[in-house]
Amino acid sequence: MEKLIVDASKPKWRINLKELWAYKDLFYILAYRDLRVRYAQTFLGLAWAFIQPLATLTIFTVVFGKVAAVDSMGVPYPLFAVCGMGAWTYFSFVLNQSGNSIIGAQEMVKKIYFPRLVIPLSKAVVGFVDFGIAMIFIAVLMIYYQIAPSANIVFLPVFVLLAIISALSVGIWLSALTIRYRDFQHVVPFLVQFGLYATPVGYQAKDVIKRLPEWATTLYYLNPMAGVVEGFRWSLLGGDPPSQYAYYSFTVVIVLFLSGLYYFKRVERVMADIV
Amino acid sequence: MSSDIAIRVEGLGKEYIIGHQKSGDLRSSFAEKISSALGRNKIKESFWAIKDLDFEIKKGEAVGIIGRNGAGKSTLLKILSRITEPTTGRFEINGRVSSLLEVGTGFHMELTGRENIFLNGTILGMKRAEIKQKFDEIVDFSGVEKFLDTPVKHYSSGMKVRLAFSVAAHLEPEILIVDEVLAVGDAEFQKKCLGKMDEVSKNEGRTVIFVSHNMGAVERLCDTGIHLERGKGIYRGEIDSALNSYLNNSKLNEGEYFDHNSEKETPFIKKVKVNTSLPDQIHQFGEVLEILFSINIPFELNDPALSFQIIDQLGVPIVHQWYFDKDLGNFCTNGEQKIICIIEKPRLYMGNYSLNVFFSEKKYDTNIRLLNICPFRIEMTKAREEFPWNEGACKYIEDSKWILDA
Repeated sequence: MEKLIVDASKPKWRINLKELWAYKDLFYILAYRDLRVRYAQTFLGLAWAFIQPLATLTIFTVVFGKVAAVDSMGVPYPLFAVCGMGAWTYFSFVLNQSGNSIIGAQEMVKKIYFPRLVIPLSKAVVGFVDFGIAMIFIAVLMIYYQIAPSANIVFLPVFVLLAIISALSVGIWLSALTIRYRDFQHVVPFLVQFGLYATPVGYQAKDVIKRLPEWATTLYYLNPMAGVVEGFRWSLLGGDPPSQYAYYSFTVVIVLFLSGLYYFKRVERVMADIV
Repeated sequence: MSSDIAIRVEGLGKEYIIGHQKSGDLRSSFAEKISSALGRNKIKESFWAIKDLDFEIKKGEAVGIIGRNGAGKSTLLKILSRITEPTTGRFEINGRVSSLLEVGTGFHMELTGRENIFLNGTILGMKRAEIKQKFDEIVDFSGVEKFLDTPVKHYSSGMKVRLAFSVAAHLEPEILIVDEVLAVGDAEFQKKCLGKMDEVSKNEGRTVIFVSHNMGAVERLCDTGIHLERGKGIYRGEIDSALNSYLNNSKLNEGEYFDHNSEKETPFIKKVKVNTSLPDQIHQFGEVLEILFSINIPFELNDPALSFQIIDQLGVPIVHQWYFDKDLGNFCTNGEQKIICIIEKPRLYMGNYSLNVFFSEKKYDTNIRLLNICPFRIEMTKAREEFPWNEGACKYIEDSKWILDA
């Protein structure tokens, strides 16, 4: 017999993983809905998922590769850039989606109970599609340029996991903050745009760091994605391992994740009243 | 806790801070924090939607929660459904719960009927395998099998409701919490749904908590009732006595509906008042009856429509009147629009009545329903000599001619 006790005098900071697991079907179906609806009534359909990254890649190749002629570790620039874009695209997608996710689901939130974490989590699942497409781009370009992945590829899962956690942590923070402060709806697009340049996606971090004072380097690596993108590319293409500063990034990711969960749980209690 | 109790509620309370339910922007929130740090804290008005509520519900019991608008019925259901958390007190629930505060929660217009069955079912807490197993039954009950692979946006609103209710009707919880969901859908389908709910509570022995303004439905479905008034439980017992408690209490004391929330930037109904010919919301049969509305309009509306029903004690609508602005004259674009409906020669017979008021508008998809507000009473003061007026003899008196045909 299921038994439920709700007591106002007892704080509830614990994340009920068992419950979250019990709601896994909801999680899948919300992700499925997002995917189905995303290209509904478009002429090109799923092709858009390829066109968008291709366009970004082309712009990067022209601006950074040709005009600015950045050092691409001796690898053809498009391959260099697409390896940076892989992790970044995923991160920016989840960021864009989860900020508004709870507001977008407010009709549900006001009418039925489910662990609210399912909403931002399902956005992280939807992002896997774009991530998969980025991986296809990487594979195609590697074959085209006849470049084999480096032996570091065994570390790739670690950096993929870090990318997921970092996207989730910022996503959870933003989804909870946006409920109370709609200001964050305007902050997110700016964050994504700014982050693209503040993350070593189209260039190598070391080329920037050598022109920065020590404090600015620290600041640079407080960007959770700086270390992740660097490590992601390193595990695919080899070269210099991520600098010791990258550990700042990793620490930031973990701190953001845990604090995000804590803040989300706090807001969750009154979510239906304030959304 | 003894094993035959399904729900136990102890000292339950929910406090809302008036004017602060809506999420603010960063600036106003910082400003508040600064002023409170400086000790210049404005006294916030708070309001207890529910206070010190205690009750128990036995397994297999069908309980109707009754009370006026704002008595705390919806808040209670929201707390028991875990949509929001109580401010004080605790409750225990023994058994698998499904709550149905709306049919079709989460429906997505771009998805097909088939996909929406899975989506909605999962949202209501069913497992995928469970939905698969009941799929044919759900489709059968809804009667939309032909359009199963059509996006729901092409459905008529009746079809959407059918599909949504069919999913809900196939939940198999031990405890079912249902809000006013029967107000949608056509009469025949409503009957089918009431039948289904009856079956659930009476034959299958499940615990049902039911909120409705339709007193007839409450009476039919429920064994016992809880009468709420201003957030407090004032009667708990047999359904007939609970209904009497409600009817006696809600009679004539509050003639006017007024929305105190002055901050909303959405269209909403500020005030509704029935102008009766006699004091204390008592109206003389046949006299001119006026119904006054005041609507807050923050921006230019798109096809606004206002309508109201006059309902009798049991919640049965007797009269329906409407105002479509595109047919009759445009509402103002900003401010407060007052509008009066004058019924020159009302024919409502002696009895207690109240209003259901509806307001809709397309631009912001406004859809407001105020149910069972502004109670008033019709009296037949001009006595007849031949026989007394009997309450309940009819609902209205028609103008007619009698002719003796030789």
